[in-house]
Amino acid sequence: MSTQHTKAAKRFLHNADKAKWHDATFWSVRAKRDTMAMSLEEWEELRETASRIKKHTITHMDKYLEMFANNAEKNGTIVHWAKDADEFNDIVLKILRDHNVRKMVKSKSMLTEECEMNPYLEKHGIEVVETDLGERILQLMESKPSHIVMPAIHITQEEVGQLFEEKLDSEKDNYDPTYLTYCARMSLRNEFIESQAGMTGANFGIAETGEVVVCTNEGNADMSVAIPKLHIAAIGLEKVIPDYQSLSIFQRLLARSATGQPTTTYTSHFGKARPGAEMHIILVDNGRSSIIADSEHWETLKCMRCGACMNTCPVYRRSGGYSYTYFIPGPIGINLGMLRDKYKYTDNVSACSLCCSCDNVCPVKVNLSEQIYLWRQNLDSLGKADPMKKTMSRGMKTLFGHPALYNMALKFAPIANHAPRPALYNSLNAWGKGREMPKFAKESFQTMWKKGKIK
Amino acid sequence: MSRKEDILSRIRENIRKSYDMPDISRIKGIQYPDVIKQFEEISKTVGGKVVKAVPGEDINSIIKELYPDAKIFASNLPEITIASKNPDILEAHELNGTDVGIIKGQIGVAENGCIWIPQTMKERAVCFISEYLVIIISGKNIVNNMHEAYSRIKMNGYGYGCFISGPSKTADIAQALVMGAQAARGVTVIITE
Repeated sequence: MSTQHTKAAKRFLHNADKAKWHDATFWSVRAKRDTMAMSLEEWEELRETASRIKKHTITHMDKYLEMFANNAEKNGTIVHWAKDADEFNDIVLKILRDHNVRKMVKSKSMLTEECEMNPYLEKHGIEVVETDLGERILQLMESKPSHIVMPAIHITQEEVGQLFEEKLDSEKDNYDPTYLTYCARMSLRNEFIESQAGMTGANFGIAETGEVVVCTNEGNADMSVAIPKLHIAAIGLEKVIPDYQSLSIFQRLLARSATGQPTTTYTSHFGKARPGAEMHIILVDNGRSSIIADSEHWETLKCMRCGACMNTCPVYRRSGGYSYTYFIPGPIGINLGMLRDKYKYTDNVSACSLCCSCDNVCPVKVNLSEQIYLWRQNLDSLGKADPMKKTMSRGMKTLFGHPALYNMALKFAPIANHAPRPALYNSLNAWGKGREMPKFAKESFQTMWKKGKIK
Repeated sequence: MSRKEDILSRIRENIRKSYDMPDISRIKGIQYPDVIKQFEEISKTVGGKVVKAVPGEDINSIIKELYPDAKIFASNLPEITIASKNPDILEAHELNGTDVGIIKGQIGVAENGCIWIPQTMKERAVCFISEYLVIIISGKNIVNNMHEAYSRIKMNGYGYGCFISGPSKTADIAQALVMGAQAARGVTVIITE
């Protein structure tokens, strides 16, 4: 009955101290988010409005995309459209080759992870340098993010220190986070200056003005495009919103939900290239236009990638980002993975206790747990239902459908309370792993009722 | 059919139901009895420093006093006479090594310490590449919240603008908060009349 997720989670939990730290760290981020939410009387109104703006924009996406592209072109930006990951990667490579780019700095973009752009460009001889500190650490380690906002959260300062000793020539045994951050700062300064191109993702595209808006704390998106003469912005179709007034709502929700800050340090509006520079926007579909037609799951497109659902998720906090088989973990990752490939990423749908906490923190009200539930209901039709659970379900159906049998079973159930441990806690009983079984009551409610013990 | 038309027509075919745009103007963002006081407090929370200039006081001497060890100042503001680097003249990479960059903010936001910086210089790198950043803003231009701020913004000819709230920061190593990730290590806001 073990899924890929449960197996990986078991490995994660093997280091109990680290697992405990992981859980507590994310819970503190969730607590900070709550403090922020409660400091604004209009918080729930903001969430509801944000959800409705997204619903409106997604169901008028053709109109807003056209408006966005037209206004961007009026600003002198070159707009490209990519059907899928391959087309996106090809467009990026072509732009870079046309400009003789050998090295490109970039800020964080989940879309480029989705399209696996870095390995593609590297295969074609272009060096890509991640400039978000967490992403840079992972790149130097040849590893992947375990969270979409705090990508290197699972790595200790000692591990970073040892990595920097080897790669950035930092002092031996100096694991001070401030020192290590400055080492990365110095090294990245050279990269910004040496690169011929800078790439950013996009938190929002503003239809009315044709601008790409990027939110960062480090200022690395701005640094990436303030020195090189070429800016490429990668944006998923669903990121386009109508105007500044809509943006004011999302801007107020984003950082508060993501990290419990009142705002990110930088909210940068890229409308035009710098004098003498060039700006390109690549609009990427890669399955998004089909999701609109999915009546059960289209609202996933409302997501603005804040990560709040991961921070609050009891399963994510206790199993870590690498336990999930899709590159985006947590509740939103379970759903995005299923939309990407419902046969390949089914292992993740069980990584949810249906506690619904994610639904209650999502700033744009994506019905995350409801969607996970719907995916589970469809597992059998995908041929992915667990055979053991299916057998048990059939057994339960027989049991609950035959009162005499049920009453008999109930009468004898307390015997299990006195059964020797190995009879109950063995490899056949998944519920006995890592937890204690409940005790059966000596008498059932029905028997007690009949005896008049309950008034 | 172009790729653009191809994608747009697929979207049109796939939309099942249409939802109306909500009335955003109904939202009343948070209000403060004293926006300047709130702005000062939140700026400190996000790691910034705030100085109130006395009318008639020379901004240059305020900055010199704030950063006594700084040698290289960069600005294109005519009133900043201590600047030896000018972002209107230099190339972006030549601004590297600037100790203090001095720029003007247009709108301050009391709820989160954000200051709207429209690009008013050839190389906006000065806002990010400088080790420390000084932002000058008039107290008259501080508003309550982001709704009020965005209703005032109109993009200028450079087509770039940025809200900045405090110094560049990261917690990517062991969740320890460090100021000065890739951009300014410290920010001082000078509030003028």
